[in-house]
Amino acid sequence: MIAAIKQIRFSGLLVLWLIALAVFAVRAPAFFTIANFTSVLQFSTLLALVTLGQTLVILSGGGGIDLSVGGIVSLSGLAIAWLLKAGMPGFAAALAGVVFGGILGCINGLVITRLRLLPLIVTLGTYYAYNGLALALTGGAPISGLPASFGLLGQSEILTIPLHTLVLVAPIFLLLLFTLNQTPLGRWIYAVGSNEKTARLIGLPVDRIRLGVYILSGVLGALAGLVGDSWLLSARPNIGDNLELLSLTAALLGGTSIFGGSGGISGSLVAVLFFTSLQVGLQMLNINSIWQLGLVGIFLIGSVLLDRLIRTAQTK
Amino acid sequence: MNWRRWLIGRRELTLALACVAVTLVFHFLSPYFLTAENLTTILHNSVELLLISLGITFILATAGIDIAVGGALGICAIFVGWSIQGGWPFGVVLLIGPLIGIGLGLISATLIVQGKIPPIIATLGLFGVYRAAIFLLLGGSWISGLPDTLGPAVNTTVAGIPITAIYVLVFYAAGWLISHWLPLGIAIRATGGNERAARLSGVGIARTKFFVYGFTGLLVGFAAFLYVARYRNVETSTGGLIALDAIVASVLGGTSVLGGKANILGALFGVLLVRLLQNGFVLIGVPSLWEQVITGVLLIGVLILDALAERSANDAQLATAPRSPPVGLASEAALHDK
Repeated sequence: MIAAIKQIRFSGLLVLWLIALAVFAVRAPAFFTIANFTSVLQFSTLLALVTLGQTLVILSGGGGIDLSVGGIVSLSGLAIAWLLKAGMPGFAAALAGVVFGGILGCINGLVITRLRLLPLIVTLGTYYAYNGLALALTGGAPISGLPASFGLLGQSEILTIPLHTLVLVAPIFLLLLFTLNQTPLGRWIYAVGSNEKTARLIGLPVDRIRLGVYILSGVLGALAGLVGDSWLLSARPNIGDNLELLSLTAALLGGTSIFGGSGGISGSLVAVLFFTSLQVGLQMLNINSIWQLGLVGIFLIGSVLLDRLIRTAQTK
Repeated sequence: MNWRRWLIGRRELTLALACVAVTLVFHFLSPYFLTAENLTTILHNSVELLLISLGITFILATAGIDIAVGGALGICAIFVGWSIQGGWPFGVVLLIGPLIGIGLGLISATLIVQGKIPPIIATLGLFGVYRAAIFLLLGGSWISGLPDTLGPAVNTTVAGIPITAIYVLVFYAAGWLISHWLPLGIAIRATGGNERAARLSGVGIARTKFFVYGFTGLLVGFAAFLYVARYRNVETSTGGLIALDAIVASVLGGTSVLGGKANILGALFGVLLVRLLQNGFVLIGVPSLWEQVITGVLLIGVLILDALAERSANDAQLATAPRSPPVGLASEAALHDK
């Protein structure tokens, strides 16, 4: 029955998405063009990468949440830009940036698992620290003028699909999907999230698994920062702003339980595509993108309420 | 070891001492820090956060959370601005913010109590809705250039004390009374400590939750009134992420996000400590862009010290007894027992 409920929330989201697409199809004929398809994917990458990490953090339970992920995106984007400016080759700078993101995530994970502090509070602290550092170290000004050759990842496309979707989002999504559903490690993440005590009793390395998901969230945040740099050929100290709340919303809308242990990344990805097509579609209809935030808020509350109604109807 | 336990139990005292220490240090570093003018500036810059942190402290004590207070502040501020523009009597201008704030708080409570939606999800959703609503109400432009009719409500002094300090003291006194003297205070802690047990003991869970969100709404509305009185404009970004600042202050003050604990005076000194540090660093020449870093480092530093102190205090106490999980902020175990 639990599987059925999960299915309902997930397909409910799919229905919402299809309705939004249908509205755009009628009101903005330009929405269903190949160029626009490309731009939806282009805009979705940053949020998609961050949301995949956020989902895993929430799934692993213990009050798991990563509020600092937007700061990680900004800060690692800046780190990569500084290294490039210092003359480091693109690939090495990208790699160093990703390692740096992993370290930022590792700080979260270590404080949470070693000191047994609550993720909400720890990542709230690093939210301020990381975002603040990004702002303070740059004085709020972007680092621009990155070499044009660095734009390969963020600006090129193959068969109308952006390169970063092909080489980052799609493979990472598939890899994580496979890990979560087909490997022991994936099942352990669900086990740790749904009942920590039992997981400890049967000998699962609970703390190491949780440390791992925070590092992963940091790495994915850094990859998002990398794509942002490469796309805009500049590093903005505020590029990660709001990504923490948006990714949290996407993960929850996608059917992942805030208490951990149930849900998955497929729903999260659909939620991200839903957000992004809403954003792009509303722009085409000349409606301010702030409405995206409002609609998403209503959908978030609505989906949970609907979920509850269905569950009570089923138990009766 | 006893002094350690004693200090941990009295967070408001350690924070007050920290405030004094910080004040002394900055006094030696900058001649401008310990002046009546500067202290009044710090107070004025803290007043909205002080009020909202009081409400958030109650909400956290019920094991709730409210991400949407910033949006609610913006909406209340718009109505205050409109009522000034419309030339309405002072009473209306004063009351409209708190009334709308209470209304918005009750919406949160309804979703959480009747809809049984986890507080973080409900208020995260409302955060988005309020942001869009602010944009809709403002129509994309700012309310600006309001007449200074509300100036006296924030700039007067009573017997040498700035009136904003009196507002803060009145609300905190009320909060302290509720928390320490009224059955409601026990109901709030019981709800957050163990909701099932509280329900079985006859605590009105729904009523308690409606109260804390409504009370926070009242505070948010009054904060909006003070905001408009001080800045005389309302922008689309008014309120912003003040919810996170308030959570930081409450947690610094010794309130647990797991619920069951509320430290009213701790929140007061938590806000003051953050603001004193931010102001002091600017006066000794650190760019104000470092504000957020200071907040973050302070929060994490205090948490780590806290966890280490509790751990060593527990170790000393339990050297001969079997180990039990640490209590308080550092208690992750409590989360899983629920």
